[in-house]
Amino acid sequence: MCDPKTPSGYVQFNEDLCTGCAACVRCCPTQAIRIREGMSVHLTDRCIGCGECIRVCGTGAMSAPTSELESLKRDQISVALVSPVLYSQFPGEKPENILQGLREMGFCYVVDMSYFLEMFQCAAEEFIARNRENKTYPHPLISPICPVVVRLIAFQFPDLLSHVMPVIRPVALMSREIRRQLVPREPDMTNKTVALYYINPCPTKFAPDRPYFHHEQPYVDRVLGINDIYAELYRHLSQSQGKIAKNGVSGFSQEYFNYCPGPRSLIWGMSGGEIAGMDTEHTLAVSGLRETVTYLEKIEMGLFSDIEYIEFRTCPEGCLGGTLTAIDRYLSKNAVQKAVLKVGAERRVSRREILQLYEKDWFIPKSSLARMTGLFGIQKPPLSIDSLSEIDRLMNLLPGKNCAACGTPNCRTFAEDVVRKKAALSDCPVFCTRQRKK
Amino acid sequence: MSSSSLKKTFQVNKKDFIHAGEASIHIKNLLKSLNMNSAIIRRIAICGYEGEMNVVMHGGEGCLTLEIDTEKVMLDISDNGPGIENIDLAMQEGFSTALDKYREMGFGAGMGLPNMKKNSDIFKIESEKGKGTKVQMTFFITEKGG
Repeated sequence: MCDPKTPSGYVQFNEDLCTGCAACVRCCPTQAIRIREGMSVHLTDRCIGCGECIRVCGTGAMSAPTSELESLKRDQISVALVSPVLYSQFPGEKPENILQGLREMGFCYVVDMSYFLEMFQCAAEEFIARNRENKTYPHPLISPICPVVVRLIAFQFPDLLSHVMPVIRPVALMSREIRRQLVPREPDMTNKTVALYYINPCPTKFAPDRPYFHHEQPYVDRVLGINDIYAELYRHLSQSQGKIAKNGVSGFSQEYFNYCPGPRSLIWGMSGGEIAGMDTEHTLAVSGLRETVTYLEKIEMGLFSDIEYIEFRTCPEGCLGGTLTAIDRYLSKNAVQKAVLKVGAERRVSRREILQLYEKDWFIPKSSLARMTGLFGIQKPPLSIDSLSEIDRLMNLLPGKNCAACGTPNCRTFAEDVVRKKAALSDCPVFCTRQRKK
Repeated sequence: MSSSSLKKTFQVNKKDFIHAGEASIHIKNLLKSLNMNSAIIRRIAICGYEGEMNVVMHGGEGCLTLEIDTEKVMLDISDNGPGIENIDLAMQEGFSTALDKYREMGFGAGMGLPNMKKNSDIFKIESEKGKGTKVQMTFFITEKGG
């Protein structure tokens, strides 16, 4: 248990808004939330930051700890790192206009991620092809992109961490490169406040475990949800039609920072968007929390070893269904599908150049994800055979309706809490009523 | 030394592909909560899954019985299906009587029983034509996971 105001590094909680409705308790995939004294309480060491509680909370008591847009005025050098999901939030609008809008909002530099996404795909193809030969990592390899999936694996399926493809994620590749290129451009950088803002739909990117995530240091300084900037960006867009600088909008002269999104990056946010841009044949894309858990369960039983690479996204429909998007996921999906038709389909990064970087270990993380398991402490303390029998005995006394009125997600978890002395049998109102009737 | 033990039974239904594997997942998570060595858990889960698939594809109604004590895990899978005519043949890798429609789904490669034998420490099978099949597997709990 912990301080209710900062229940975990991934979720913020406002106790004044909590009605104790238990919607969050029921939806949490790791059973990390309980209702105690009429209010929800997080068990910090179990939260994987999926954002489901934020999604289902009807009162806004749960929110994502993103940065404030206010800080943009204070940071002397600000760079916006733009997830392609942002474009899908403005159906029919040209990506260049959206990037320009961000500059008008006050970002000194605005960089689209496309180049780095294609770079990642290219490196991933190479990794998969080499692994096919040297069989160092077990099949199926799992995409390292979705941070929730990686945490879910670290928490619930630690044996599968060896399946997670050890290639540095696009946002880390990108922020590393931006920092490198800022040095010659901003000579007195050390005396100024430099901030990299990652604009994306994921509630978990601003997380305490960032250093473990194939990012050897916290490359990104601030994180903004798309919904945090949507209204203001929308206002700038409607005011500034067609006022685009000739030589790109990024503010950098490097060509790859001025890449405009192509089809591969536009569809990136859709489930299947990552693998669609890769020439690996035996792949699969799975989206949704429940579906992801089911697949991981089966991989753990030795299934799907004929598949080389699986792209998991815990948000429904992929990142377009991210918790911090601004518009409906089906509307944005449609916008992406229509936008893709308007642009050419070829990959623009040079495979030869990427392979050269690959040989120089450009994509190989220095950190191991195995350390992630340490984040969840001593997982859950193990039960004994006797306590399992006791849980079974209690299950016969409980209603089995999984109503969560006791403040625990379901009867099985409640029985376990009772055995672990974290709850009392009398917390179950149905059990109490039955006892009184006897 | 404690004499603790636990016994649980799971129902497996004929031709229920949607829920096939759920008993094995349940067993796997139960063993995980005991903090058992992950290599043993994996072997037990694989055997359970193969067994469940056998019941779903060939057997009639069946059940999976799990028994755990401090030294070993026992997994019994029995069904009242058609039975196996020639057990020696059924134990050969690649031998399969699965229907084509199951093979198209990626099952029925003839690896089920051999895989179960390979992954268990003691493997017993009894079958009578027309009556059903009973597979009994034992896994010894060791530090290394066997």
